Amino acid sequence: MTNNPFPLSRDDLLTAYRTMRTIRDFEERLHVEFAKGDIPGFVHLYAGEEACATGIMMHLTDIDRIASTHRGHGHCIAKGVDVHEMMGEIYGKATGCCRGKGGSMHIADLSKGMMGANGILGAGAPLICGAGLAAKFRGDGGVGLTFFGDGAANQGTVLESMNLAAIWNLPVIFVVENNGYAESTSVEYATAVDSYVDRAAGFGLPGVTVDGTDFFAVYEAAGEIIKRAREGGGPALLECKTVRFFGHFEGDAQTYKAKGENEHNRAHRDCLKLFGARVTAAGIVADADLALIDREVAALIDDAVETAKGAPLPGPRELTTDVYVSY
Amino acid sequence: MTSQTPPKVGIIANPISARDIRRVVASANSVQVADRANIVLRALAALAACGIEDVVMMPERGGIATHVLRGMERSNAQGEARFPRLTHLAMPVTGTADDTRRAARMMREAGDIAAIIVLGGDGTHRAVVAECGSVPIAGISTGTNNAFPEHREPTITGLATGLAAMGRVPAGLAFAANKKIEVRIDGGPPEIALVDVALVTDRYVGARALWRTETFRELYVAFADPEVIGMAAIAGLVEPVSRREPGGLALTLAPAATAAMTVCAPIAPGLVTPVGVEGWRRMPAGKLFSPDMAAGAVALDGERELFFDGHQQVAITLQDAAFRTVDVAAVMAYAAREKLLLRHATPALHPVPLLAGA
Repeated sequence: MTNNPFPLSRDDLLTAYRTMRTIRDFEERLHVEFAKGDIPGFVHLYAGEEACATGIMMHLTDIDRIASTHRGHGHCIAKGVDVHEMMGEIYGKATGCCRGKGGSMHIADLSKGMMGANGILGAGAPLICGAGLAAKFRGDGGVGLTFFGDGAANQGTVLESMNLAAIWNLPVIFVVENNGYAESTSVEYATAVDSYVDRAAGFGLPGVTVDGTDFFAVYEAAGEIIKRAREGGGPALLECKTVRFFGHFEGDAQTYKAKGENEHNRAHRDCLKLFGARVTAAGIVADADLALIDREVAALIDDAVETAKGAPLPGPRELTTDVYVSY
Repeated sequence: MTSQTPPKVGIIANPISARDIRRVVASANSVQVADRANIVLRALAALAACGIEDVVMMPERGGIATHVLRGMERSNAQGEARFPRLTHLAMPVTGTADDTRRAARMMREAGDIAAIIVLGGDGTHRAVVAECGSVPIAGISTGTNNAFPEHREPTITGLATGLAAMGRVPAGLAFAANKKIEVRIDGGPPEIALVDVALVTDRYVGARALWRTETFRELYVAFADPEVIGMAAIAGLVEPVSRREPGGLALTLAPAATAAMTVCAPIAPGLVTPVGVEGWRRMPAGKLFSPDMAAGAVALDGERELFFDGHQQVAITLQDAAFRTVDVAAVMAYAAREKLLLRHATPALHPVPLLAGA
């Protein structure tokens, strides 16, 4: 577009906003619905971190693989997993993308390159090395990204995977979503050197830290790192410093946070507000464009919840299906 | 500071500089936290050797303080007295540039800090200068581009700072005046740059660093040294302007494909690329410059920090003698000339010809 001072077209800017808004509304709605007791298991909400998943995933296609975390709803939505199937999965219904047998922490959709959320911290890192090796053998330019938090960054699996990715020069990117808390333990307490870039340097990988609440910061940095990996430049680490609006899990009293911290983050570090203000002030997108997306997304989430609630549970005969794989 | 008050030195060490995208789009280095801590220990030892007894440091949670205190404890346990007393400012830690600004402000307000040693890149030094007032600074490069801090072994910077702080070198020689550039948008509070202000077509901050030359439009530099890296390198290769001479340089840039001329400039570590230049002129101190471009982003010392839209006014001015730095080269030359670091156990020794008696 002429005179567009952003690195994305107007349509792509609107897509980015729609993705972030969908994640936000999905999570805000789950916060409400979970309290009603209809959702089995636990949910870990991604609200506040939307710019990380969206800014990164805008550079990916379905041939690229991601390995997600226990806080994976945002990754799924940004990677293109169907919102209705996700909601069905979280409600444990047969219409879910894993037929209701995985729930929130095991949503997966291989057709979208989404290898799965994961209830084990740091478990995605070794998996993505396999995906990266496969992409390297195929030679199709595909890349693999694994997400983990500041807590899982201390897991041996993550560090071993960095070493493996380095020695095999895999097209793999390690994404640290640093929201400041490993469950309820602060980074300052639990991490000897709180720069994850230093960890990467220990394995000879370049590392970059960005403001994870700034979509454009994530988008620019991720674009360069992913491009480098596609071109054979090898693995790298991206640290997104971000915030989470809710607790570690739903029901977490968040006594470890400072008084007013969530309110401050919602007022000043809300990636959706920051993004909306920037693109409208530049005159590329109108407030009405964003308002229309807000309404459409609200309707989508309403429908996803109602559909999931009304969907059937998996039947007893399905107890042993989709459980084992025959080679 | 009164003559009864022993001079203190401040240290502001940024644990998070050198972490940006230039590690991927260029070949910038990564200075790890343990290395930063070692630099602090070297500077502390040098300060102690000059007689500095008290050092005040900015607190941080990046790991520097932990490593430094561990090193000092080990030294004390071995019965050494290599380090001065070290205290940390009582202030909250946010993990952002606000910490640097707050620490510099507190050191200025304390009134007994004779100088501040700064570890970081151009951005860290800029944050300190914004708040340190007349307290001189001594820069140690641990950032990415580092056009402002001179590259030197930190022990030497510590020695020079210690000698200057102790008053063992005449102030007129020990401290040098430096220029800065102020940027105001719509008459608001000024943002400053110590080396350069660049205007680019982006209207977002994004990953901050500048590497897409096609977006470069205007450049204002306080000094233009052909030996520096970053945006100021463009100016330095066109018309050098020293750190000490009055005024700076203003350049009009353009995409290399359409520009009147191009400069092959090292705009980031390992990134030497053609930059289009349409023209340049001297930038006298105090003269107001208004950009020709209607909207864009303002990069201060090589990092996008602000953006402005068509309805906003941008004012850019250069200021001479805006802040002071420890002139390390001048101090060390004086120290050698005046034998400040020589100690005689016996009556003065005289040089002996190496081959005497041979």
